[in-house]
Amino acid sequence: MAIRAAATSAPTARSSSALSLPPPISSSSSYSSAQLSFGRAKSTTRPRTTVGCAISCTMTREAAAVTSTEKDDSDPALWSRPDSFGRFGKFGGKYVPETLMYALTELESAFNSVKNDPDFQASKLCISAVKAELGGILKDYVGRETPLYFAERLTDHYRRPNGEGPHIYLKREDLNHTGAHKINNAIGQVLLAKRLGKKRIIAETGAGQHGVATATVCARFGLECIIYMGAQDMERQSLNVFRMRLLGAEVRGVHSGTATLKDATSEAIRDWVTNVESTHYILGSVAGPHPYPMMVREFHKVIGEETRRQAMEKWGGKPDILVACVGGGSNAMGLFEDFVKDKDVRLIGVEAAGLGLDSGKHAATLTKGEVGVLHGAMSYLLQDDDGQIIEPHSISAGLDYPGVGPEHSFLKEKGRAEYYCVTDEEALEAFKRVSRLEGIIPALETSHALAYLEKLCPTLPDKTKVVLNCSGRGDKDVQTAIKYLKV
Amino acid sequence: MNYACKTHHSAMKSHFTHFRTIAGHRNHYPQVVCANPVVFEGNGRATRSKFDSSALRLNYKPGSPTTELPKGRVAILVDDDAAKPPSTGKFGRFGGKFVPETLISCLEELEVVFRQALRDPQFQEELTTALKDYVGRETPLYYAERLTAHYKAQNMGRGPDIYIKREDLTHCGAHKMNNALAQAMIAKRMGLTAVVAATGAGQHGVATAAACAKLGLSCTVFMSTADMEKQPSNVDLMNLLGAKVEPTAGSFKDASSESIRVWAGQLGEVYYLAGTAVGPHPCPTMVREFQSVIGRETRRQAAEKWGGTPDAVVACVGSGSNALGIFHEFVSDPTVRLIGVEAAGFGLDSGKHAATLAAGEVGVYHGAMSYLLQDEEGHIVRPHSVGVGLEYPGVAPELSFLKESGRMEFCSATDKEAVEAYRRVARLEGIIPALEASHAFAYLEKLCPTLPDGAKIVVSCSGRGDKDAAMVSTYMSR
Repeated sequence: MAIRAAATSAPTARSSSALSLPPPISSSSSYSSAQLSFGRAKSTTRPRTTVGCAISCTMTREAAAVTSTEKDDSDPALWSRPDSFGRFGKFGGKYVPETLMYALTELESAFNSVKNDPDFQASKLCISAVKAELGGILKDYVGRETPLYFAERLTDHYRRPNGEGPHIYLKREDLNHTGAHKINNAIGQVLLAKRLGKKRIIAETGAGQHGVATATVCARFGLECIIYMGAQDMERQSLNVFRMRLLGAEVRGVHSGTATLKDATSEAIRDWVTNVESTHYILGSVAGPHPYPMMVREFHKVIGEETRRQAMEKWGGKPDILVACVGGGSNAMGLFEDFVKDKDVRLIGVEAAGLGLDSGKHAATLTKGEVGVLHGAMSYLLQDDDGQIIEPHSISAGLDYPGVGPEHSFLKEKGRAEYYCVTDEEALEAFKRVSRLEGIIPALETSHALAYLEKLCPTLPDKTKVVLNCSGRGDKDVQTAIKYLKV
Repeated sequence: MNYACKTHHSAMKSHFTHFRTIAGHRNHYPQVVCANPVVFEGNGRATRSKFDSSALRLNYKPGSPTTELPKGRVAILVDDDAAKPPSTGKFGRFGGKFVPETLISCLEELEVVFRQALRDPQFQEELTTALKDYVGRETPLYYAERLTAHYKAQNMGRGPDIYIKREDLTHCGAHKMNNALAQAMIAKRMGLTAVVAATGAGQHGVATAAACAKLGLSCTVFMSTADMEKQPSNVDLMNLLGAKVEPTAGSFKDASSESIRVWAGQLGEVYYLAGTAVGPHPCPTMVREFQSVIGRETRRQAAEKWGGTPDAVVACVGSGSNALGIFHEFVSDPTVRLIGVEAAGFGLDSGKHAATLAAGEVGVYHGAMSYLLQDEEGHIVRPHSVGVGLEYPGVAPELSFLKESGRMEFCSATDKEAVEAYRRVARLEGIIPALEASHAFAYLEKLCPTLPDGAKIVVSCSGRGDKDAAMVSTYMSR
């Protein structure tokens, strides 16, 4: 390959190092073509066969950029989230049996083809063009956009004696149809499944929220729906089981293992492997093999996009801090995604410390976990010395997951996001506090994020804008809370 | 008030002068007062201080009347000049203020505050923001594609287009919040720190508890023990929200009477938050005004979606607040059919129902003249419906008026039809409607075959049905 340098220092030696460049970045990655400079190099498309100084200098720069990113990687705008293999740094990926590889690839290309399809696009068109399929459904069926609510009494509660304190805003995902953020993803995925011509939908569920959301969208679009649920969970959540059946879904109990969420997930994956041609698997969170973490994040990112616009309307700026609870991590990614590149916005995820980090009964994956592969992705997870998955515990079923989305593992390692945890007791107190102060009963999952405000707010300067994702309503948790709070 | 007046007004008028003198209260407008004020047993003793309006300690700042409300307000139309004396609150022959003298001045002051609040741009601004950011308005007008297809398929591909007004998406899951929040703001405006309310199914109790928590008011909700057993989840919600739930014997009507009793005994300290468009004036008007945001939004959304108005609006009728909320905007528009669906329980002939407009007679109940379910002796009949929120033996006086004037059509659906509709809408649209709203959906079975192709129906989905899952599960297993 002959690349002649004309006006720039582009030694041939460098160009031959093209062979040692990392795998090509496909169009599905989040690198824009502008960053790769290929778009700007008007004269050519393929560096190997073309002559021209522009190519060599871009190659050089690109090579330099690539090698330097490994050393100084602090600009979030340069991270590939994910890259073409679905990796976020070393996390993520596609650790699945061969039979599923084709389905995942098919899913990824379908998603990419609709991502930029104006008829499919989400939040931007949510308000302006009701014609957009997804936007229309999100608006009229789900009830978007959800408000950014100034929590006056909660703000007063955290005001210090000298009158200073942060301003607390709640992003009201609890007002969505079905009462949680889960439906944003369920709707997006079912529309995708329809485009792929799939007639059968499967999903796993722990407490039932994701199951109910999936059953809801399947009813709305007339698709067959099978939900896998651990037998133990089915007993604890019989009302959710009834609800799913009412919505026309078939609920299959899973008795293997500990008969809880992780076993239901494994069973669902097994079903998918068997029926991959006819079936789409609606994964409930940003976990799982690529392209799920990316897809689920994209479907939820409407939360953050709306927040940006609403923050601008309300106080003419951006939030200073975003707080969200982290189980699998979908509601947090949904809020964070639009702000990852804004380095002046702090991202805080709050996990479940259950009965305490030392008790061994918790779900604080990012704090106490180790890196391993679970459900198709490399990520932090709670495992024992033999590499067996530890049964997590949290009073809130939605955070009761022994893994976490790979992108959260990535953001933690990069230091872009901070992760803390909160015990069952602290979460219950927050549940009660917010109910009494704002008349909003938050889900127990959300209560973990709300509980963290107790530690966070005293450290914040006056008038810091905190936006907390109120990811779901707590009607489903009332019985549990009453039992523990003895209200 | 737990009696029903079947006697004629002329008999009552003979006592009119007597009451006026005793009260020493300025009454320069006709007012009918019932002859036997044995209403609040053991409470509400008339003392001098109760008639002295300064004892009410109203701390609000009267707003200056404005001629127009700024754009984007959840504008509430006022049809009366604030300078006029308090009105009688009559809708034709219905409505009014059938209350003991102790409550009259209180109700008058409430009306004045209400009118002034409506004209105060600051109040409007706060209410609009709260409805938007806290309650989650505006609620969508959702085209129910599969429900529409379902009815068209039954009629050779021809049938109406069905739109659902999604009040189930409001905070706390029912339209009750629109009213509870606005009235709690009125209470705060009056400088009161305590609120009392009565609830049947619990939705109004929950909404009131939430609104009071948000505004920092103390809240007491009266609920009958029978209802508490039927809807325990709502009781838990109220407790969590910081409200005190006081059990009463009997049913909703008794809880209602008890709360009015407490109010009468603590006038000037406590605000009575009416949950629905019944009761003495100005309660029906206030509740209707605050709920009428539903109809206003519907009109605008209908214009956006199909460039016209609905051909028919269908809503369930218990006491009538959600129905009035969506009907009111269209009352003066004769091209829009207004259809109210009541609870026929086990059937109109069974005697176990709550179909007040269909099977009731006119009388006075809870301070207003309206249709109500009473037996031969004028005692209130205990109503029944699987939709607990529809179990009210009376109905809003304004709806009685709309019925008599022929403006509104009314019909009913049995428990069985309602449960079927609950399941149908869940299965076809993934929306679980409240059992109350399911009555409105049930009526579509009869309505749709009669309508021309492409007619636009708007059904008010007044609440979500998660609270009813246990009840439906039991019903289905029977």
